Amino acid sequence: MNKTQNENSIIEQYQISSARMEFDKFIVPTVTIFIGLLLCFFMLFPLWSILTMSFFKGGEFSLLNFTLQNFHKYFTTAHTLNALWHSLYVSFATTIIVTIIIFFFAYAMTRTTISGKPFFRNIIMMPLVAPSIVQALALIYLFGRNGVITAHFLHTDWNIYGATGIIISEVLYCLPHAFVILYTTLSAVDIRLDEAAESLGATPFKVFTRITLPSAKYGIFSAAALTFNLTITDFGNPVVIGADYNVLATEIYAQVTNLYRFDLGATISIILLVPSLMAFMLNYYISRKTFAMISGAAKPVIPPSRPLKKISYTIYCWLVSFSIILIFATVILGSFVKIWPYDWSLTFQHYKFPSIGGYSAIWTSFWISMIVGVGGAFITLVAGYIMETRKPYFKQLIYLLSVMPAAIPGLVMGLGYILAFNKPYYIFYGTPWIIVICIIICNFTLGILSSISNLRNIDPSIEEASISLGGDTIRTFFKIIFPLSRVAFFQNFVYFFMRSMTTISAVIFLVSATVHLAAIEIIMLDNDGWTASANAMCTCIIVLVLIMLGLLQIVQKKTGKSSAGLA
Amino acid sequence: MSKMLILEEIRKTYGSLVAVDDVSLDIEPGEFVCFLGPSGCGKTTILRMITGFETLTSGNIVYDEKIINDVIPQKREFGIVFQSYALFPNMTVNENIAFGLKMRKMPQDLIDERVIEMLKLIDLTGWEGHYPSQLSGGQQQRVALGRSLAIKPNILLLDEPLSALDAKIRVRLRTVIKKLQQELGITLIYVTHDQEEALSLADRVVIMRDGQIRQVGSPWEIYKEPKTSFIAEFVGTSNFISGTKKDGKVKFGQLEFTVLNLDDVEGENVHLAVRPENVELVDVTISSEHCVSSNVVEVVAEVITFLGAVVRIAFFLEGETTIIDISEKDFEKMGLKRGGKIKVYFPPDAFHVYTELFKKLV
Repeated sequence: MNKTQNENSIIEQYQISSARMEFDKFIVPTVTIFIGLLLCFFMLFPLWSILTMSFFKGGEFSLLNFTLQNFHKYFTTAHTLNALWHSLYVSFATTIIVTIIIFFFAYAMTRTTISGKPFFRNIIMMPLVAPSIVQALALIYLFGRNGVITAHFLHTDWNIYGATGIIISEVLYCLPHAFVILYTTLSAVDIRLDEAAESLGATPFKVFTRITLPSAKYGIFSAAALTFNLTITDFGNPVVIGADYNVLATEIYAQVTNLYRFDLGATISIILLVPSLMAFMLNYYISRKTFAMISGAAKPVIPPSRPLKKISYTIYCWLVSFSIILIFATVILGSFVKIWPYDWSLTFQHYKFPSIGGYSAIWTSFWISMIVGVGGAFITLVAGYIMETRKPYFKQLIYLLSVMPAAIPGLVMGLGYILAFNKPYYIFYGTPWIIVICIIICNFTLGILSSISNLRNIDPSIEEASISLGGDTIRTFFKIIFPLSRVAFFQNFVYFFMRSMTTISAVIFLVSATVHLAAIEIIMLDNDGWTASANAMCTCIIVLVLIMLGLLQIVQKKTGKSSAGLA
Repeated sequence: MSKMLILEEIRKTYGSLVAVDDVSLDIEPGEFVCFLGPSGCGKTTILRMITGFETLTSGNIVYDEKIINDVIPQKREFGIVFQSYALFPNMTVNENIAFGLKMRKMPQDLIDERVIEMLKLIDLTGWEGHYPSQLSGGQQQRVALGRSLAIKPNILLLDEPLSALDAKIRVRLRTVIKKLQQELGITLIYVTHDQEEALSLADRVVIMRDGQIRQVGSPWEIYKEPKTSFIAEFVGTSNFISGTKKDGKVKFGQLEFTVLNLDDVEGENVHLAVRPENVELVDVTISSEHCVSSNVVEVVAEVITFLGAVVRIAFFLEGETTIIDISEKDFEKMGLKRGGKIKVYFPPDAFHVYTELFKKLV
């Protein structure tokens, strides 16, 4: 009895610190306010700047200054108006082609028993590791004025510049994004429905049109909407292969960089924002329905496909994979060949970059991407944790702000940053830090969504157990939640890193005389006629991203979790 | 040492749904209280309000003569054991148990001492370096117990702690929990939907339904004197006979049962509950001369189920399936076969009389 009393007094000496708990009360509101302010200041404020620049004389917000002059000018100038029609034409064409190609590709991956599926799945994801310019560079090498196929194989004058080139390169760029959606949809829909229909006497064609297609319709629309959004907002491919064929994204760049017409650039941004926002909302609305349809029921084994079906799908998948491999092979080979396509001897000379940026641009890109990776993964994890488990006030508002960046084209965001922050008192303007912030904000949506879905996998009782034992928010996060999220954290890190290494549109307005980035260097090199070096720069980016992905694979294997794929 | 915990008309509503409906209860220091009820009856919500994870819509929770409605969970010093164990998967057994003490900035040597003591208490000495994933469910729950007891909680709250375990381990851990509570003299609040658990563990059982307390009493009282027909059905097993009152007897089809304490109940229509083990077999468990003749019925044994120590015999009583339980020994003596005739006797004092019949939970 004496001993237990003694013990009681010892343990009772150590109490949860009241001061710490008082302090803890401010953590959740502080983080919430911080995230809210971050998104307001670095997303809404730049958008607001674009709005005022386009709707008000001189960008000065006041009722007297309101004007539609910019829009009038835009819609009455044939050249700029054409950009809208061009963009819509290219985007619709790409959307239709990608949706059809990828539907059958995803179908082959989920509903047939062809061999080599893991290989095909990896190949289709390849375009994610390179800037959306690699397709255009390769196509020019293959089908350009001096293309190895057009000029030297077929001896034709036809070349790929213009709408055709943009559409083909965008198709090859959008494949992985659309694939992820349709693959998820098709693997989620119960294959037993097909079997049931077949057993009731439906022909394979009828099963396909009456069961398979309708059950995947949300996925199809969602993939289409995403493709449309990606294409209409892409800048890298059209600027290289478009030649005189201007689209909205290239027109914004031309107005701002060549003509210093920030007002018109802002106006075109608004015009670009409308269709991309619509496509985003459609996608958002549809993808909610898609997830409602996904059932947790165990999937039976796919019945063996008939030989003809197997052969035709295998050939089909090879064709799609071959085009992607061809793109990457051309760019990588092109960076080592002396003079494409005349002198095929191998050389490293293109890796002696003739521009000011050169290797320092790669280095800058690398460390900026590391910071973006760690910072982005950390902020989205903290934000996801606070919103998902601590349920602060204004949760819905913060959530809305968090999904908005996905709807805003990078180019528009970048222009907004110039308009908003090009003031002497924003000391981060013109430094790498504005680039870091812009890339994090541009990719905030996917980061936070994947953080939240990961946090939902952690038993809420674990959090409560910590609290009941006296754990405050900070220690609960760092001692329990963070260690339990480390694989997801690393996945997010690689995602942010990859986006940061490959993005062009978000940062093209933000590079300066002192800050060079590898992805932008590609455009600069290509512009100045150093196409082979542009390819070399591309190759460097691809290699760095692949190394990082390889590390992710190792980490995931070590922690015993299966690969979640690139996206 | 534990102090008095008082729930004063606590209430919790979610929109129009009333989860907890003005519940009041005094819990004595050192008492073992079980909240028992079907899922959705509000028992877990009450537990979560005591822990501080749920806010109260109205009412007060008083601990040690202080209202603690607004005290944050960290400062309540209540230990909680969860159904899912909720051990920290990234920490060893040792680190799990030490977590609460670390949060209190206790010096490492004292923590080590306390952890060793806890390991001994939960009988897991030698397992301190293992991770939760390397332990069985029963071991994990013992670690969870040790972890919550390490901080010397004022009250220990357990939310269906055994539901996720196998039947055998469940019974064994029950004994562990009971022994711990008696040794430490700690107030223990236990939530379960398993009546056997509640009856075998608690000093007092609180029966809940639809957010309200339906009966509070010792396991003995609850079982012997269920206040409502719902409790008679939910706790243990009961046969129900619905009939009409007539001349101090209850008329049920062709039968007229003599029932004790019938006058305490108002109304014409009554519902009788009788536990299967309280029904006797004439000339087997009771000699015929002790029987009130109106309550003896001859029936045909339709189904005989061997349950181990007891044998359950089902028969039709005026078209209603009725069961009686007799000991396996008595059954063996009888040599009864399916379809055999038996004489059953319903003692007048075996009936509980209710005016309302609960809606059957399907």
